[in-house]
Amino acid sequence: MAALTSAPARRPRRRPAGVRQAGSERLFNRVALGVLIALALLWLVPLLWAVITSVRPPGEIAREPTSWFTAHPTLSSYRQILASGRMPYWYLNSFITSALTTLLAVVTASLAAFALSRLRFRYRRPVFLLVLAGVMVPPQVLMIPQFLSLEATGLLNTYWAVVLPQVPNVVAVFVFKQFFDGIPTELTDAARADGASWLRIYAQIVMPLSRPAISAVTIFAFVWSWNNFLWPLLVVTDPQMMTLPVGLNSTQDAFGLPQAQLMASAVLGALPLLTVFLFFQRRIVEGIAGTGLK
Amino acid sequence: MWARRRFLGAVGGLAAAGGLSGCGTAVGQGLTGAEGPRSELAFWHPFTGGDGAQLAAMERPYRRRHPGVRLKPTTMVWGSPYYTKLTLATLSKRPPQVAITHLSRLPTLAASGLLRGITERELAEHGMSPGHFRTSAFRTAHHGGMLYAVPLDTHPFVLYYRTDVAKKAGLLGSDGELADIDGPEKYVDALRAAKEATGAWGASVASVKDPATCWRLFWSLYRQLGAELVADGGRRVVMDTGAAEEVLAYIRRLAVEKLVPPAADGNGGAITLLTSGKAGFLMDGEWQLLAVRGAVGGKFDMRPFPRIFHDGPYACAADSHAFILPKAGSVHAQRAGQALDFVRSMLGSSLDWAKGGHIPAWQPTARSAAYRRLKPQSHYAAAADGAAYDPAAWYAGADSNLYRKFGDVITSVLGGHLRPEPGAARMREGLRELARTEAPV
Amino acid sequence: MSAASGAAPNSQADVGGSGGDGPGAGGAVRARGSRHGRWTAPGMLLPFGVFYVVFLLGPLVYTAVAGFFGGSLVKGGLGRWVGLKNYREALGSADFWSSLGHTFYFTLLTTVPLVLIALVLALLADRFARGRWFFRLAFFAPFMLPSAVISLLFMWIFADEIGLAQGVVKWFGVETPPSWLGDPDWAMISVAAATVWWTVGFNFVLYLAALQEIPAEVHEAAAMDGAGPWQRLRLVVVPMLGRATTLVAVLQLVASLKVFDQIYMMTSGGPDDSTRPSLLYIYQTGFTDGRTGYASTVSLLLFVVILLVSLVWFAMVRRTEKGS
Repeated sequence: MAALTSAPARRPRRRPAGVRQAGSERLFNRVALGVLIALALLWLVPLLWAVITSVRPPGEIAREPTSWFTAHPTLSSYRQILASGRMPYWYLNSFITSALTTLLAVVTASLAAFALSRLRFRYRRPVFLLVLAGVMVPPQVLMIPQFLSLEATGLLNTYWAVVLPQVPNVVAVFVFKQFFDGIPTELTDAARADGASWLRIYAQIVMPLSRPAISAVTIFAFVWSWNNFLWPLLVVTDPQMMTLPVGLNSTQDAFGLPQAQLMASAVLGALPLLTVFLFFQRRIVEGIAGTGLK
Repeated sequence: MWARRRFLGAVGGLAAAGGLSGCGTAVGQGLTGAEGPRSELAFWHPFTGGDGAQLAAMERPYRRRHPGVRLKPTTMVWGSPYYTKLTLATLSKRPPQVAITHLSRLPTLAASGLLRGITERELAEHGMSPGHFRTSAFRTAHHGGMLYAVPLDTHPFVLYYRTDVAKKAGLLGSDGELADIDGPEKYVDALRAAKEATGAWGASVASVKDPATCWRLFWSLYRQLGAELVADGGRRVVMDTGAAEEVLAYIRRLAVEKLVPPAADGNGGAITLLTSGKAGFLMDGEWQLLAVRGAVGGKFDMRPFPRIFHDGPYACAADSHAFILPKAGSVHAQRAGQALDFVRSMLGSSLDWAKGGHIPAWQPTARSAAYRRLKPQSHYAAAADGAAYDPAAWYAGADSNLYRKFGDVITSVLGGHLRPEPGAARMREGLRELARTEAPV
Repeated sequence: MSAASGAAPNSQADVGGSGGDGPGAGGAVRARGSRHGRWTAPGMLLPFGVFYVVFLLGPLVYTAVAGFFGGSLVKGGLGRWVGLKNYREALGSADFWSSLGHTFYFTLLTTVPLVLIALVLALLADRFARGRWFFRLAFFAPFMLPSAVISLLFMWIFADEIGLAQGVVKWFGVETPPSWLGDPDWAMISVAAATVWWTVGFNFVLYLAALQEIPAEVHEAAAMDGAGPWQRLRLVVVPMLGRATTLVAVLQLVASLKVFDQIYMMTSGGPDDSTRPSLLYIYQTGFTDGRTGYASTVSLLLFVVILLVSLVWFAMVRRTEKGS
């Protein structure tokens, strides 16, 4: 259950001991490997194709659209996309909104989870169930009143319009609570006996111990916020204020843009999170696996 | 500990980001909702491709004359998404200072309170007056007695024809231009002659995947019968079913006599029929001029859509592009003076715009010798006087629900799947359904 | 030392906690953190609570209420009372039902392959400990990409005439391949294919994790019994993945019901509205046409559908847990 508190005790998987590698076993493995590699290569095609297209010189694509080979690779498309000026803004906007969202989500969710986990109070159970029920409500069906409320407060076309509705993260509360429940009570009892306030216990004892949970929530909240499209599409219409996905969509709008440039902007759009993936692969995968095992 | 590190990281990142000079203002705007710098002028338009290039050329004189202003044009794809984004931007109180609209969408935009009105005095202050504009367009740019848009052009539904095919079919007059084809029989005769000359079709029209073109064909003929569709801003249906049946019957006749193909597609298939010589005529909007010219060079000409019915005054479906000033949150954010200066400058380059096929609304250009020399533009310029704009309803206008409902019926009639009477009935039912829905304005 | 929020010990009698245990008592089994100030718990819950009420609960109530009014986006506010008119219109509207139908069609087209393909991939990849990073990269990396990138990629791949997909099909001898995004019969399938490419990695990882949980002894025992690799997979491993499959399927189902991004960007709901899902219908009626009351009605109806699906899952999970 507490997949995040300790790595699952995994026995290294060996081939069934004592059984001679039967011919059928070996054959099966060969076929399996072959199929797997073929599929993996197939899966890499779209991205590779985009990269190849993005470095082809302008006229070449019109002449030979589906050729895999290019004699004169060039970065001119990238230069043109970056020169037209808007993409750096989009990166910045996405970063800021995602960072703000994640920060606020982690703080609010962990505080709430702490209260639900450690503090006894009268309406604890109903509150917890109410919060959990929120998981059933997809934010997309709430976009009209959310839009209207932001319009009324004059926050449209600011970062806050993107950030605020994304902050209440029920899954994060759940993840934190599960984790906090697993922290031994002796720790908090001792601190409590020393006279520490609950807030202090939260900040100086419990949170520092909760790295796995924090990093999981951070990564997921950040990635989810970064990739959110529909909501920023509604609330950010100023091209300079757009987040990356919305900005990329508006690039596509200006067709008449050669494919090489469109693919260059796609590659540029893919880079940030692919980089995140390369650095945080393990955590991301563990986080997902942990969700599954609950 | 982790939380603190992350927080500091975020703050540090923000500080670094704020340090980048250009981005500093952007971040500040993003956090506080402050207005952008007053030297910027944002301009939204739906022109891509050839039109987009023309527009960029037209912007150059303005940039030269106003080096202190940072003009920031944004191109968006034409259609409902454009108007949706414009509406959302205006609701956010941070819209672009200038934008392009179709005049068919103007009533809805104005009734929604999204536009800033323009007084005659303001026009005069920036070098414009009512007399400078084509009357039909200028009139349509008003709503509730107030001017809300400055017309740039009129783009009607016209008739293209291959001069070589017309010659072969004996349709050219002594002056080298098309002989008189106005009238139901004369037009059918002309198409029949063209069909014989090409060996395939008489005229081509985009009948599938192009509800807008289908609507324009219907609307031109329907208005030539002098009939109306709706009243009261679209709340009341006054459709003349008999007239609709007559129009559909005529369209069906063209299809039945195999004068027009049953399923030419709007993604270029219809145009290709003309450019490859398989059709002698093409019924489409004037904006295809550059595409047609690119394919057949000088072997074609254009003229206003024929006057088939004489019950009403001459009419052809048309729309106009116009400049609007979306209502901003403050006078400074609005920068109406700068915006109108920009508009005046663009109008001054109307000849460039006309090269793309559009009929200028700016009369000094329309009446000039230079424009009259433009061929084939000058051959269909008269069509602008018969411009039949879309009915004034919130569900009508460029790329609207109305286009789709009516376009579907025309497609079916041209395809031979639907007869005039049930077709007109379906149109009426669709119209009633639209009129019944609670209007959002 | 004690912050204001934490009351001094002994000041508040706690509801159920027994007081009096001193520092040496430690080791109590029951989680104690009993004593706290009156405002500690609400104080800690407040930040989350505010966001939750303002951006989740409040809007939910509003959506339910607004459906009975004829609100307009540009005029703002709730608008005129119209009673059940919106519901009657929605439930009688061909557009409403067709968009729901498209949503279900999309769900079917994506959920089945996403479960099966991910399962097959995981079963295969599980056999090889080395090089797993490569497979994980190949299959999961797409999942990290924003929908806008996916749309750009596949609009290029599915382009008419010059796209890779048509090129490949022509290479196989088909003279006139269909317009992948322009043909109403193929558009949804193309979008679904792009979606499968995009998200299979997530399910792949879930399945891999579940497979890791199967102890080596199970494999050994089956092998000892003489079962070949194919049989082991079919009769032993797959049945043990029941819970994972349920999870994957339901996550997929619920996510598919909320589809918007790729369809908006790749086909705009076309051609001829043949790919328009419910969420896009809500967007169009609410923000393009500006009829917020009607769009709220449709939103609520969609929410009910999603809720029902989630509840069915809940019931199914309960059942399998009772069974196993």
